[in-house]
Amino acid sequence: MASASVKVAVRVRPFNSREMGKESKCIIQMSGNTTRIINPKQPKESKSFNFDYSYWSHTTPEDVNFACQKQVYKDIGEEMLLHAFEGYNVCIFAYGQTGAGKSYTMMGKQEKDQEGIIPLLCEDLFTKITDNNDNSMSYSVEVSYMEIYCERVRDLLNPKNKGNLRVREHPLMGPYVEDLSKLAVTSYNDIQDLMDSGNKARTVAATNMNETSSRSHAVFNIIFTQKRHDSDTDNTSEKVSKISLVDLAGSERADSTGAKGTRLKEGANINKSLTTLGKVISALAENKKKKKVESFIPYRDSVLTWLLRENLGGNSRTAMVAALSPADINYDETLSTLRYADRAKQIRCNAVINEDPNNRLVRELKEEVARLKDLLYSQGLGDIIESESPVMHFKLFPLRFKCCKESYPMSKANILCTYIIRNQWVRQL
Amino acid sequence: MAANQSSEWRTVCEKLSLAQELSEVESRKDPENNPFRSKYKARDLLKEIHCSLKKNQIEEEGEADNEADCKCRQMVDEEPENDECGKSCSGDSPAGLRAARLAVVQYYLGLNHIETEELSAGEQHLMNCMKLIDKCTTTRENVSLFIQARNQLGILWAGRDEIEKAQGFLEIAESMYLLYMREDGQPPLDLQDFFVLEGEELSQQEKIRRFEMAYTHTLYYLAQVYKNLQQYERAGQYCHSTLQRQLEYKQFVPLEWAINAATLSQYYITKTRYMEARHCLAAASVIATLAGEIPSEAAAKESDAECEKREELLQKRAEIARCWINYCLNLMQDAKKLLEDNIGELDLDRQEELKRAHRNEEEENEKGRKSTILFGSSDTFDSICSLEEKVSSMLPLDFEEARSIFLVGQSYVVQAKEYFAMDGHVTDHIEILQDHSALFKVLAFFEQDLERRCKMHKRRVDMLEPVCKDLNAQYYLLICRQLQFELAETYYEMMDMKLAVADKQDQPDVHTIKKFNHLCSSSMNYYQMFLDSIRSPEGKFSEKLEDDLLRPALVAKFRVARLQSKFISSNLATQLENLTHSLESYNFVVQYCEENPEAKKAVETELELSIEMVSLLPLKINRIGSKIASCN
Repeated sequence: MASASVKVAVRVRPFNSREMGKESKCIIQMSGNTTRIINPKQPKESKSFNFDYSYWSHTTPEDVNFACQKQVYKDIGEEMLLHAFEGYNVCIFAYGQTGAGKSYTMMGKQEKDQEGIIPLLCEDLFTKITDNNDNSMSYSVEVSYMEIYCERVRDLLNPKNKGNLRVREHPLMGPYVEDLSKLAVTSYNDIQDLMDSGNKARTVAATNMNETSSRSHAVFNIIFTQKRHDSDTDNTSEKVSKISLVDLAGSERADSTGAKGTRLKEGANINKSLTTLGKVISALAENKKKKKVESFIPYRDSVLTWLLRENLGGNSRTAMVAALSPADINYDETLSTLRYADRAKQIRCNAVINEDPNNRLVRELKEEVARLKDLLYSQGLGDIIESESPVMHFKLFPLRFKCCKESYPMSKANILCTYIIRNQWVRQL
Repeated sequence: MAANQSSEWRTVCEKLSLAQELSEVESRKDPENNPFRSKYKARDLLKEIHCSLKKNQIEEEGEADNEADCKCRQMVDEEPENDECGKSCSGDSPAGLRAARLAVVQYYLGLNHIETEELSAGEQHLMNCMKLIDKCTTTRENVSLFIQARNQLGILWAGRDEIEKAQGFLEIAESMYLLYMREDGQPPLDLQDFFVLEGEELSQQEKIRRFEMAYTHTLYYLAQVYKNLQQYERAGQYCHSTLQRQLEYKQFVPLEWAINAATLSQYYITKTRYMEARHCLAAASVIATLAGEIPSEAAAKESDAECEKREELLQKRAEIARCWINYCLNLMQDAKKLLEDNIGELDLDRQEELKRAHRNEEEENEKGRKSTILFGSSDTFDSICSLEEKVSSMLPLDFEEARSIFLVGQSYVVQAKEYFAMDGHVTDHIEILQDHSALFKVLAFFEQDLERRCKMHKRRVDMLEPVCKDLNAQYYLLICRQLQFELAETYYEMMDMKLAVADKQDQPDVHTIKKFNHLCSSSMNYYQMFLDSIRSPEGKFSEKLEDDLLRPALVAKFRVARLQSKFISSNLATQLENLTHSLESYNFVVQYCEENPEAKKAVETELELSIEMVSLLPLKINRIGSKIASCN
């Protein structure tokens, strides 16, 4: 059951050389799960946010409070992998300004203790598969890797396929990207090779077309299938889960790439161009505070929102890591990242269940209650209801009926039956 | 202006057009690490222009000094009202023109600084621009600049979260336009007109187009300001006016306009203004056809461009169809709300009353509103009207009226499903099916014959049941739950109706009882499926329900309890078993609310009744028990 909403973590990185050169001040403080940001212009003014995790990676491992790659993986990656084995779809996405450390958290570096969530999770996945001793179980792993740029989807594992791939939905297989290549892998090394070649496709494409990776989202999918063969019945049951690892475009590009994940409230900004009139009108149509009237807004969400829809509302588990820059010069961007992360805690698609009013049923039942009460009083048992708790009744009665049920001879039932049926139609008693 | 023809003037004009070119065209190619390169170049040119204008001005003003006295007197003699506002000169005097020309450069400089993220400097230039023209009376020479400068200041202040300030600027621009059109109305000079060589002036038509465009933007910005001030009613009006003007001055992309109008219809629906909603939709459908023919499937296979065009046209048209469906549905549902009694049945007295009173009044009312909202240039107006006539905008008050709206809605369902097919568009397709089902449901409300009403509900089951069975809950959990719940309710409704029909019979036959039990168990099964979807993979029922599931889940349990006690059986043992299950289900509701007191509020009535039933059902069970015993 998708009871948990999005799990949100934030992580602050060390200063980079540019920030050191500018003698930047650190404006982020963390204690426990709370992250505080200080306004460099008004140092007395600070804002606090609570998250599931606040990772302090600004200093070095010598610092007792320092959060290393392993720790981030242990908190977030391990849990998500567990859910994947349970058969859930899982999704981890990274958000933040370009250069705030998204890729470090997700991918890391190929050095000891420097690997990020994705490689650690893949490694763990295959360790678990190889360690499995249950002969009735078999596993298969497939991967796909795509890039979303300006609402267009590109296959990173087959860069020759230059066209815009279409996003579609299948009733059994869920949302999918048409013609996206899916490659079977048998080891962590396979995954690593594919990821490397995909990343190369990403940058090569970027220089050719004057696009830089910071503007595009990258989605790495692992389709993990577990098959159990029951040798007694010769039945095979299958559990398929999709692990999506999403590297979102830099948050400063959020507008140009439609990276918003979900539509978040816009500020007081006025859009200049009339091409955005539609947005203004939809905002009006969506505002239905007073009356519960459904409106249909004919605007497609962004491709990414669409692909992640199942992760935000379906039967899946989702985590988000927001990467923060510690430097005072990035105050505005970092604050907006924190606000986004704060809202992400509440991101969920609601299942609006429109129920019929119960009025008729309520009336019927009230009548029945009155009838039963009359009956009780007429038998002089009225005081029973008033003195005993309803639960007590429930516990007392069924026992008696069990005895009756067993000793009841069927033949005599038929005599009664016409009478009871009539009674039931007329009085429900 | 003799001076304008000098070579010096020619250079100024060339510089300006180069600056425009740099700012609007060249700048798009600027590299990422130097994104404002062309804008900065344009800025330098504008500064140079400003310098030479200033120099000229000093020279010209020197010459003009001698004449100034008599000129001023003359002006005062001719137009005495100008003095009242404390304006120092007329907008069309040589001094006024000089000021306006300088103000145009200030305006461009202002824009340039804003576009390069130097907001304060930009603001300063715009304020300079405003001061220069505020010294003069507003005439056709400077009215366009007056409006455009205020538009920009409005945007600027809105960006700083000072919405009221933005509103001030924009509302002044708005009233200036209205005043000018009332008093003068001649095509005003465009900003560019101040810097053209003789013979290269803009045509009258182009002047009008640009001026009206500036005002359309004023309205559009005001719409956003009102939206941000949460004055949605006004914002809606301004969006409407923006759309009207886009059409009137042919400044629109058909498909985009059509979608916007269709969206606006949805806003009107939330305000229950169906006449306006219908007009928007009719206009949307008509204008969408201006986007051209849909390329054939064969053509789409040939080229990617044709393929994309086909996809886009089909999609947008299907989306407009969905807006129509929603219109029909809401119109009928609103009528139902008005006509139903306290258990959701058609109130015949009320129906009579409304039929007598409402009609004429409403129609008159709408005529008054209609003139202000009309869309359409002469060429599209007739098609829009004839499309409007195909469906009423009045709340239907009887079955016939409801049916005609239903049929229109249903035809749009067919249209929308063509594009949003199950294969490829699962979510959209099912949403359309849900709308179709809702159309049947509300139509059934108007139907008096129970058998026919029951058949309408059967149609709902027939369209939803197969989909519900085929859908993978791992991906479409929320939709699955909605479908399960709706199917459970539909079967429940049908069961109720069968019961009502049977009640009229003297002795229900075996077939009727079988049918009744089948409906009962189908309804129960779907409630149960819904409840099971809340369990964990290990089958455990969640100890604490989520907010949005709390009420539906407890209501489902409550209904299951009722259904369990409704089964008809001749077997006393079965009866006992059913009632015991029913008691368990009522008890679940009671116990959940005891353990989670915050849930009580969500299910007050249901809880109250469940408590009663938990205390009383044992009595009923007991009676059956004794019957069994006595038969022994």
